[in-house]
Amino acid sequence: MSGIHSSLEVNVAGIQMKNPVMTASGTFGYGSEYVDFIDLNQLGAIVVKGITSVPWAGNPMPRIFETPSGMLNAIGLQNVGVDGFIDKKLPYLRDFDVPVIVNICGEQVEEYLEVTEKLDGADGVAAIELNISCPNLHCGGMSFGVDPKLTDELVRAVREKTTLPLLVKLSPNVTDITVIARAAERAGADGLSVINTALGMAIDINTRRPQLANITGGLSGPAIKPIALRMVWQVYNAISIPIIGMGGIMTGDDAIEFCIAGASAVAVGTANFINPRASLDVIDSIEEYLGQHGMRSIAELVGSLEVAETRKSR
Amino acid sequence: MNPMPTPAKKFDLPTEVISNEPVAESHYLLRCACPEIAANALPGQFIHVLIPQDSGLLLRRPFTIYTVEGDQITMLYQLIGEGTNVLSRLKRSDSIRVLGPLGNTFEILSGPNPAIIVGGGAGIASLMLLAAALRNADVHTLGLVGSMNRARLLSVEDLKAMGVETHIATDDGSVGHHGFVTELLTHILETYELRNSIIYACGPDGMLRAVTKIGLDYQIPTQLAMENRMGCAMGVCLGCVCKVQTPGGEFEYQRVCTEGPVFSAEDIVW
Repeated sequence: MSGIHSSLEVNVAGIQMKNPVMTASGTFGYGSEYVDFIDLNQLGAIVVKGITSVPWAGNPMPRIFETPSGMLNAIGLQNVGVDGFIDKKLPYLRDFDVPVIVNICGEQVEEYLEVTEKLDGADGVAAIELNISCPNLHCGGMSFGVDPKLTDELVRAVREKTTLPLLVKLSPNVTDITVIARAAERAGADGLSVINTALGMAIDINTRRPQLANITGGLSGPAIKPIALRMVWQVYNAISIPIIGMGGIMTGDDAIEFCIAGASAVAVGTANFINPRASLDVIDSIEEYLGQHGMRSIAELVGSLEVAETRKSR
Repeated sequence: MNPMPTPAKKFDLPTEVISNEPVAESHYLLRCACPEIAANALPGQFIHVLIPQDSGLLLRRPFTIYTVEGDQITMLYQLIGEGTNVLSRLKRSDSIRVLGPLGNTFEILSGPNPAIIVGGGAGIASLMLLAAALRNADVHTLGLVGSMNRARLLSVEDLKAMGVETHIATDDGSVGHHGFVTELLTHILETYELRNSIIYACGPDGMLRAVTKIGLDYQIPTQLAMENRMGCAMGVCLGCVCKVQTPGGEFEYQRVCTEGPVFSAEDIVW
């Protein structure tokens, strides 16, 4: 041990956090579901389930399927709608000393704007995470996040409607994620969440039916971690706003990899399904790592990937 | 209208396998000590079991709580895929994690005579804590157990030991009624004109649909324990939902892990 006191406190994209560990949207409900296992105050931030302008019923069953080291989901953004969130879910979270980041989604730009305006006026919202990467919608969602022009228009429009910190959650389902990342940065994003799920599918060979009613779904879990890490590294080298790294983080070691690749903070997702204390375990491991390596803060780690000189000129 | 509100406290406990033995063809009974879960478990509730990570499996697997004995619980499970195969190879002293108790519970009404529990295949496992609770409440109980064949027949001795009058149906006629357990149900309702009754059922979807229809035809309140693929079992992944009627002819997707697993049969939209 070095004897240096490490602080986990960070300010990422204007969000002040006790530590750099968030819960990923859609994997932590509205927070209350986990209070038997976690003191929510210990989290860096809570990113709640994606919210739309009106309640959405979601997709038919089956909605999930386990694959090697991962899971597919096609939930279809079942949620209580922005009014339901503000009236029924947000008051509970206000009692905690933890930033609440609200993931928002829609099919049309106007829906995103309506949700943004309502959240901007709501007490207890620390930031907005713009979901332009949900793979399970027929229009909207990911269709914004695979086109730099649509990304630009949507982010710009939402930016004008709020002074809250604005994160944009990127899709891995693109040829070059840096193009979308640059578009989001130029349009006024304060930070980027990298990545949402990777589009995938699975088939029951006996019935020859898809394992998901939606046919395709988003792949999450350790299976996508190498892809997510690669994309964090690429985006880190392309932009100057902070990155929240996510995609298959199960342990503190995973989270540290993301930070080395360029993430200023991380989000724990699918791991919450398996270990309800996963995010707290990640926080503890990061703290231990910083201490062991004589680092005062996570900032010393961010983007600290050691590469040969010839590989640095990207 | 769900039978009972969801109880509050959940626990995620490391524990060890005490025993894990076959009890019928393709079916095992696993026993472990989980004092906090044993003390709080209600009929119909389930646990979410983390199978050792070196198995290569990612998600936990949900299993109904079969019995509670002191600080121990048991789970009766069918070998159905990779998860249950890995589980069946666990030996005494192997480590598992058990999260629970989860879900809502059956409603036990005073007055119905008799209560009829209808289990298809491993579905009977979800009704065993209920059978014990009915016995404790002095409710006369009939048990109807359906199985593919004699080799896969489950729980009959356990039910009889609780004083439950048990009837059997098998698909191949190797024991009991040759046919569906739902035919037994209709036969019993017709023969004894049981109108002041209540039906509790768990089993394959086709069976539950048939039980629902019978319940409606005979105007007997019916509660179903639903089963589904599950992700988190804590109500956040929204992977385990079933379609439930809402007032005004609409429907919504409700979580089997949280609003369920027990639903009023007439509320389920098949």
